Amino acid sequence: MGVLRMGLCPGLTQEMIQLLRGMGIKTVVDLVSSDLEEVSRKCCLSYKALVSVRRVLLVQFSSFPFNGADLYEELKTSTAILATGIASLDKLLDSGLYTGEVTEITGPPASGKTQVCLCTAANVAYSLGQNVLYIDSTGGLMASRLLQLLQARTEDEEEQAGALQRIHVVRVFDIFQMLDALQDLRGTISQQVTSASGPVKIVVVDSVSAVVSPLLGGQHSEGLALMMQLARELKTLARELGIAVLVTNHVTRERDSGKLRPALGRSWSFVPSTRVFLEAREGPGAPAGCRVASLTKSPRQPTGIQEVIEIGSCGTPEQNSSLEGSKP
Amino acid sequence: MSGDFRRAESGTEICLIKQNQFPHCFCLENVSFCSKSVFTLRSQELLARLEGRSSLKDMEPFLFADEGSPIHGDILEFHGPEGTGKTEMLYHLTARCILPKSEGGLEVEVLFIDTDYHFDMLRLVTILEHRLSQSTEDIIKHCLGRFFLVNCSSSNQLLITLYSLETMFCSHPSLCLFILDSLSAFYWIDRGNGGESLNLQEVTLKKCSKFMEKLVKEYHLVLFATTQTIMQKSSNSAEKSSSLKFSCEEVDIDYRPYLCKSWQQMVNHRIFFSRHDNSESSNQMFSIVSCHLKSNNIIKRLFSIRENGVHFC
Repeated sequence: MGVLRMGLCPGLTQEMIQLLRGMGIKTVVDLVSSDLEEVSRKCCLSYKALVSVRRVLLVQFSSFPFNGADLYEELKTSTAILATGIASLDKLLDSGLYTGEVTEITGPPASGKTQVCLCTAANVAYSLGQNVLYIDSTGGLMASRLLQLLQARTEDEEEQAGALQRIHVVRVFDIFQMLDALQDLRGTISQQVTSASGPVKIVVVDSVSAVVSPLLGGQHSEGLALMMQLARELKTLARELGIAVLVTNHVTRERDSGKLRPALGRSWSFVPSTRVFLEAREGPGAPAGCRVASLTKSPRQPTGIQEVIEIGSCGTPEQNSSLEGSKP
Repeated sequence: MSGDFRRAESGTEICLIKQNQFPHCFCLENVSFCSKSVFTLRSQELLARLEGRSSLKDMEPFLFADEGSPIHGDILEFHGPEGTGKTEMLYHLTARCILPKSEGGLEVEVLFIDTDYHFDMLRLVTILEHRLSQSTEDIIKHCLGRFFLVNCSSSNQLLITLYSLETMFCSHPSLCLFILDSLSAFYWIDRGNGGESLNLQEVTLKKCSKFMEKLVKEYHLVLFATTQTIMQKSSNSAEKSSSLKFSCEEVDIDYRPYLCKSWQQMVNHRIFFSRHDNSESSNQMFSIVSCHLKSNNIIKRLFSIRENGVHFC
């Protein structure tokens, strides 16, 4: 959407563009919102030609309304639910991560956010056989840990290697690199370049606050504009390409009450559709690696429900016990 | 009248008819791109247009401070922070409108503009299923046939889409409800693009607001728009005097307007959403404070959200 130029639509000639520019009409929006009778009088352009150009531009650049029934049909066939592999978290999320939505995991440091991301990536790559794009901005991803999680699920080395190949890792250290990575993903999907097992079904971003927090604060609002651009990219990716997006965020303390709340402020709070808060369970007798996940925002479950998540060295306890069971 | 229709066959004459003769637009459907468009009008549509759009008066009496609201041409704003039930309320109103009259609905069409990919079709279908006495696929699809969804990715695209939606309002006489969720989604991006000048930052939103006002008045629609509370509460006392404060019983609403003045001036009702901490019940409760800006009536209500949608207490 932007400047009027030759070839933008049939009927828009160079001569017309020059005459319009003389009147101060340079962009598509200017032309569409101006009074065409006046323009045709002042520019000596044919009114009919202007009306037809305006009509074509409107059809080309405006968004098309969808009928609810058609949309519902399409959603029924294209929405998928990706299980994270952690049974209690899946229960909290109403069976898993929904495609077309952004899910956020937030919590204090060492609360297990990266472990949840790694478990999800391993599960989607192995049990569901789908491709994963893992964008790592904290350096918390270790291939050896992924291998350990996969070894808990299968003993077959070829299957482990196959699953690892389905996890594509991109390391980014600032927001521009992250936007690039997302644009690249869009490009490969639109050119329909798919690997053997199909297109990417889940994008894991660990973490989004690491690249956005340095931009916020201070007088100028450019940081917020960039954050909202990133948010828009993630949501558009999720909705238009039918991908599930999992992001992690850290927490800050509220100024007045001292309670913990997710970072990145109010504008970001509108972006994820589901929010899960992880924290370590305090108290005597609590086993190490035990975390409590609470649902703080959800489009389909009541908020406030909690589940206990345990991620040991070999993944979740179910996987641990199945591994032990299979050993002689 | 037939003479006018014949004149309208060539492209140039159409706008003259629109402006001079009839208040309701006789726009063309975009059937072809060539300059001589074919102009067809069915007699039923003409009659429906002359009778006017159906009334939305009894849509949700709990939401409004005045009786007999909303009337045609009303513009309402839902304002509140995240997770306070604004989008749920929109689903509730949408369901009320698209359900058939036999099930307690109004049987009118709804246009929903979604600017931040927030809309969840599965949730709307769940609400419809709970409200219908027999929820078969066919009935649900029939109800959803009255619902139209548009996604916009930037404020420029929103403006251009509004221009092209004008033909849709013309050709759908039963389209009465116009929903925009949310109007403030592009705020930070527009501010970044506009640089230092406040005018440049607000110019597109101002044009959108003015055009929406024109659409609402001309086609007798009702517009519901949501805006998000993205500014911090003003801690500065000098700023507090410029922000509006409503005291209603025990509720103090601190509202910091940040969208352009043309939008703020065209709103008739402003409804503030917030969480209501209720220690007795286990349900999360929400409260709305509904203010009618002309008559200065203010009411407060509580509601909770269940499987079948919004439930007023």
